[in-house]
Amino acid sequence: MSVETIDRPVSLVSLHPYGNEGLPAWLIPMRASAHARFLELGIPTTKHEEWKYTSLREFESQSFAEPTFANLSDDDIADAVRGLEDAQRIVFVNGIYSEPLTTRLSQEEGVEIRTLQCVGGDPSNKLKNLFGTVARTDEFAFANLNSSQFRSGAYVQIHRNTKAERPIHLLFISTGGTASYPRVLVHAEQGSEATVVESYVTVGEGTSFVCGVTEVVVEANAKLEHVKLQSESERSYHIALSEARVEGDGTYLDYNVTFGGKLTRNDRQVFIGGSNAHVRMDGVYVADGEQHCDNHTRLDHAFPHCDSFEVYKGVLDGASSGVFNGKIFVYLDAQKTDAKQTNQALLLSPKATIETKPQLEIFADDVKCTHGATVGQLREDALFYLQSRGIPLKQARALLVYAFAAEVLERISHDGLRSELESRLYQKLGTDQG
Amino acid sequence: MLEIKNLYASVEEKPILRGLSLTVRPGEVHAIMGPNGSGKSTLANIIAGRDDYEVTEGEILVDGVNILELAPEERAAMGLFLAFQYPVEIPGVSNMYFLRSALNAIKKARGEKEMDAMSFMKFVKEKTKLLHLDDNLLQRSVNEGFSGGEKKRNEIFQMAVLEPKYGVLDETDSGLDIDALKVVSDGVNALRSAERGFLVITHYQRLLNHIVPDFVHVLVDGRIVKSGGKELALELEAKGYDWIKDETTAGVN
Repeated sequence: MSVETIDRPVSLVSLHPYGNEGLPAWLIPMRASAHARFLELGIPTTKHEEWKYTSLREFESQSFAEPTFANLSDDDIADAVRGLEDAQRIVFVNGIYSEPLTTRLSQEEGVEIRTLQCVGGDPSNKLKNLFGTVARTDEFAFANLNSSQFRSGAYVQIHRNTKAERPIHLLFISTGGTASYPRVLVHAEQGSEATVVESYVTVGEGTSFVCGVTEVVVEANAKLEHVKLQSESERSYHIALSEARVEGDGTYLDYNVTFGGKLTRNDRQVFIGGSNAHVRMDGVYVADGEQHCDNHTRLDHAFPHCDSFEVYKGVLDGASSGVFNGKIFVYLDAQKTDAKQTNQALLLSPKATIETKPQLEIFADDVKCTHGATVGQLREDALFYLQSRGIPLKQARALLVYAFAAEVLERISHDGLRSELESRLYQKLGTDQG
Repeated sequence: MLEIKNLYASVEEKPILRGLSLTVRPGEVHAIMGPNGSGKSTLANIIAGRDDYEVTEGEILVDGVNILELAPEERAAMGLFLAFQYPVEIPGVSNMYFLRSALNAIKKARGEKEMDAMSFMKFVKEKTKLLHLDDNLLQRSVNEGFSGGEKKRNEIFQMAVLEPKYGVLDETDSGLDIDALKVVSDGVNALRSAERGFLVITHYQRLLNHIVPDFVHVLVDGRIVKSGGKELALELEAKGYDWIKDETTAGVN
C-alpha cells in the first residue's frame, strides 16, 4: 500500500479574491504563485508526517469571514498592551493596519516600523530583496496561503549599529468569526539590537482563524530578542510559521509563549548562516480543556562554532493535548557546534496527552549535540511540603506549575513584559485548576 | 493541647503505630526517642497529614479538635508545624515567595489580615538573624542546592516565621555537625514559650543537651514503652535501647 501524501484539496477555507490595495507591484506575482502552491499542497491531513498528531478535520468544517477591518477602541486593546506601555507599537486588526490604534506610535531614530504598503517607499530595495526569501515556505501549505492572502503586515527595520531602546510591539488582533493573515518582516541590520514582541489576541466572539508568517533577519553582530505571545480565545485556530536567518556573530533569542487558541500550530525555524552565532529557542505553552498546541521547531546549524539552546515546556491540563517536534540539523561544515535541546511536559490530568519527538541529524563529527525529553506529573512530596506550611492544595499546585513554566519566561529581558507574562501564567493556572 | 489518643496506623497493611498515646501541653517540650523502625517518623508525618498512612484507630486532637480528617494546610492553619527530616527541594520557587504565601494562607484561613511584601520583608529579616541565615538564602529556590545544615536551619527558620502553636521536629539533628546543631537548637530554644509546645523526635540524646526536654518518651514497636524526665535520655544514651526492649518484653510476659 502506498502512503498517500497528496493531501485533501482545498474546499473549506474559502479563497476570496485577495486585495492588493497599496501593496508594492513586485509582490503580485509572488502572491499568485503562492496561491497556486497552496492549492497544489492542499490542507494537510494526519497522513502527512509533519501533521501526524494535529488533525485539521474540525477546522475544515468551519467557515470564516474574509479579513475585514474593524474599528476597535483603546479599551479593547488595554489587556494586550499591559506591561508594554513603553513600547513602539503597530496594531493590525484582522491583519489590516489600524491607524487609530497606532497613532501614538513615536519612533526612535534608526528604528522604522511600517506596513508592507511601505509608505515612504523602499529606495534601496531592502524590503523587496528580503521579503519572502527568509522563510522556506515551499512545503508549508499555510505559509503559502498566508503569502497569497495577507492584506498588510509589519515591516520593522533596525538600522545598522542602532540599539532600539524601547521594545517594538506588533499587535495582531483578530475579531471573532474571521480569517486573518498576519505577516511580519523584521530586519535587524548589522550591529543592531532590539526586542520585538509579536502578540496575538482575540476581541469578540466567534471562531477565528489566524494564519501568520514571520520572517526575521539577524545580520552580522546584531542581537534580536523575539517574543511571540499567543493568547487568543479558545475558539481560535492559529497556524503560523516563523523563520529567522542569523548571520555570523549574531544573537537571536526566540521565546514562543502560547496560552490561548483552540488549535495552535507553530513552526519555528532558525537558519544559522554564519559562524559564532548564538541562538536560544525557547517555548512555553499552557493548555487545558480541549486545547491543542503543536510546536514544530527546526534549527539548521550550517556554520561552525555556533551554539543553540532550546527549552520547550508544556503544561497540559484537562483533555488538552500537546505536540513537540524538534529538529536540529548539523551540517557537515558545522564543526564545534554546541546544540542542546530540552523538552519537558507536565501532565496535570489523566486525560492530557503529549507527543514528543526530538529529531537530530548530525553530519559533522566534532560537535556537542544533546537532547532530552521528560514527561511527568507534579511531585507529591513537594505538594505535601507546601501544604504542610499552610498553602492550600490548589495554590500549591499552581505554585509548582508556575515554577516549572516560569523558567522560560524568566529569560525575557523586558521587565514589564516578563512580569505581565508571569502574572498571566499565574492567573491561567490559578483559575483553571480544580 | 496536642493530644494523641490510642493511635494505630499502618503502611500498606503493615502496622507501624500500635496504640500510641501522648499529650503535649503548651509550654512543654516532649522528646520522643526510639530505635530505627519504631515509628517515630510515621508519627510525625501522620500529625502533619501525609496521606501515605492509614490510621486504623485512635485520634489526634489539637485544642480539642480531631484533625485526622483535615488537609495538611488546615492543620497548619490550626498551628501545627512539622520540621521535616528530609526537607524537599522546590526549584523555581524562592524561599521568600514561598514563606509569604504560606504565612498569608494561614492568616487568610484564620480570618486575619494578610501581610504585604514590604512588612513581610521586614518581619523576615528579624527571623533570619535568629537562625544566622544569609539574606541571599531568601532569594534562592526553596532548599535547592542547600547543604544539609542549611536545609535544617531553613526548617527552623520557617517555623520561626510561621509561629506555630505546636512544633514537631522530625530528626532535626540528623546529619548536623556540632556547630549547626547549636544554631538549630538556639533557634528552637528562642521559640520556646508558655504558649507553644514541642514534640522533638530524635534518635540521639545529643540534641537534648541543647533542647532540654520536660519529658522523654521511648517509642518501641509503635508504642510508648517508657516515659520520664530528661535523665531518661541520658540513661538511653548510656545503655542503648535493648534494656528497655527487654524490660518491655518481660513486662508483657
